[in-house]
Amino acid sequence: MIDPVTRVEGHGRVTVQLDEAGNVDQARFHVVEFRGFERFIQGHPYWEAPLLVQRLCGICPVSHHLAAAKAVDQIYGVDPRDLHPTATMIRRLLHYAQLFQSHALHFFYLASPDLLFGMEAPVEKRSVGAVAMEHGDLARKGIQMRQFGQELIKALAGKKIHGITAVPGGIHKTFYPEERDYFLSDNVTPSVDTMIQWSQEVVTFIKDYHDKNFMWLDSFASYPSGHLGLVGTDGALELYDGRMRAIDSRGEVTLNDVDNDSYLKYFGEGVEKWSYMKFPFLRHLGRQHGWNRVGPLARLNVCDSISTPLANAELREFKAYTNGRPNNHTMHSHWARLIEILHCAEQIRNLLNEPRLLEEVERPPVSRRPEGIGIIEAPRGTLIHHYKADEKGSITKCNLIVSTTHNNEPMNRAVRWVAKNVLDQQKAITDGMLNQVEVAIRAYDPCLSCATHAMGQMPLKLTVFDADGAVVAEHVKHPV
Amino acid sequence: MRILIGIGNSGRNDDGLGWVFLDRIKQEAGFSADIEYRYQLQVEDAELISRAKHVIFVDSYHGVLPGGFKFEPCKVAPDSVFTSHVLPPGAILHLCRELYGKKPGADLMLIQGSSWELHSGLSPEAEIRLGRALEFFRKKLPF
Repeated sequence: MIDPVTRVEGHGRVTVQLDEAGNVDQARFHVVEFRGFERFIQGHPYWEAPLLVQRLCGICPVSHHLAAAKAVDQIYGVDPRDLHPTATMIRRLLHYAQLFQSHALHFFYLASPDLLFGMEAPVEKRSVGAVAMEHGDLARKGIQMRQFGQELIKALAGKKIHGITAVPGGIHKTFYPEERDYFLSDNVTPSVDTMIQWSQEVVTFIKDYHDKNFMWLDSFASYPSGHLGLVGTDGALELYDGRMRAIDSRGEVTLNDVDNDSYLKYFGEGVEKWSYMKFPFLRHLGRQHGWNRVGPLARLNVCDSISTPLANAELREFKAYTNGRPNNHTMHSHWARLIEILHCAEQIRNLLNEPRLLEEVERPPVSRRPEGIGIIEAPRGTLIHHYKADEKGSITKCNLIVSTTHNNEPMNRAVRWVAKNVLDQQKAITDGMLNQVEVAIRAYDPCLSCATHAMGQMPLKLTVFDADGAVVAEHVKHPV
Repeated sequence: MRILIGIGNSGRNDDGLGWVFLDRIKQEAGFSADIEYRYQLQVEDAELISRAKHVIFVDSYHGVLPGGFKFEPCKVAPDSVFTSHVLPPGAILHLCRELYGKKPGADLMLIQGSSWELHSGLSPEAEIRLGRALEFFRKKLPF
């Protein structure tokens, strides 16, 4: 049992069951917190949803804020395409800032120790502190990239965590020239041009790293799967407002660019008694075959192109590596994540230079509706918010399908891969072996607090049981 | 530049002591310093304090403190465990030195709390201790 799994956001545990011959019989990734937000938000005014639901998470509150805002826009009476252009720009800018800082957090703070020091490195090496000590330049850039995203969020939302940008049908405040100019020039926080340059450098870093380590990056925890993400009408990567597309492991389309409103028609959620996290799947493919990965790797697999030139060039190279077929290499998620960082930096520069970004926004006259559905691509993948409200505007129903929930089955598959390929028939289970289970989970950048909508400090654990149920090995660490 | 960093969560009763301390002290005549509110310290705070001449971390304390508060120099802690959930001030000082080569003066103000429930506002006991800590700190003004 790994308990807690570390350098992930949230609390879970992993159990590995051995048979009498010492072979892995079963491996499971459990999430053991209770989810409550969907219930206790009922009765609140619909316009409170973007403010309340973002409290699900301290890492990606902006994603929940915006997904909820898109949904309550519709209850207010405005479809995404009818939102004032400036409001859409401001929300997109906020969204790209969030993706940029969250991806930087994950790569530099959570994942890089595994890459820089190896999966078998002693535990004291497996932290951002050790990265800072031994790779100072990389650490400094990582810190300032995250800081750039955080400062931009603060400029738009008032504060870095749990701020306010969106209101039903519009935005909370106008963006001022001096606020915009801060990010266009080098200050305490380097400019957006510097962010683009550093993003290119870190993409080059991961490609070089891959060249030297492709044997394990291409094989570790790899398995065929479906992939799900949003795309634009032109099939390009779309992170804020698009249609849902899914493909299977061979690239056949299994969900053909469907509208957000129809998600209930296509998605079901399975449950297992050993986890509070649900298992979403495409209804027409069934629970066994309809599950999909979401997140950076899935998004780059389902899209045809990226709208910004530098990231698009990297996408072409990324797709060429698998000859245009879906990339099912789990560890390539890091490569995909860094291409998205570059795309976000380019998009931030584009938006900062948009003349209409600074306009004042007036909310249009509207007619209230009983229901709204908001879907965006959060850092970790496709995020669905669905609300219903009564005639007084009180929320009567809330359904959240969070990115990490889509990745529940994929993470379980990854854990099973490591259990079969690393732990099977081992006489002694080492700390390094157990860390490999965490590395597989960590590639998905899971946010277990989001997935269960739980509160508090949430670590993750792993235990290996023999055929008699006795504990063979246990991995217990403080949350990281 | 001088910085006060309040650490905590005002939605958890006395865990908000660090924030309330900042709310009160910034209204004092003669107070001049930057203030920052944090749920928890993050790695990037090493960069923030690298630009400071002096930093004071203000946090609530779970144990018992004689007099209800403690003000002491903040020591560099090179052996701290780095996590994304818990990063002690001494670890931030260490990162600041290692990454940016800066050694700002640093103090730690700890105020004893009693209640950590999901409610806003301080407990009556914490209010009394906060008052003592503020009275002590006022003697340091202008900060």
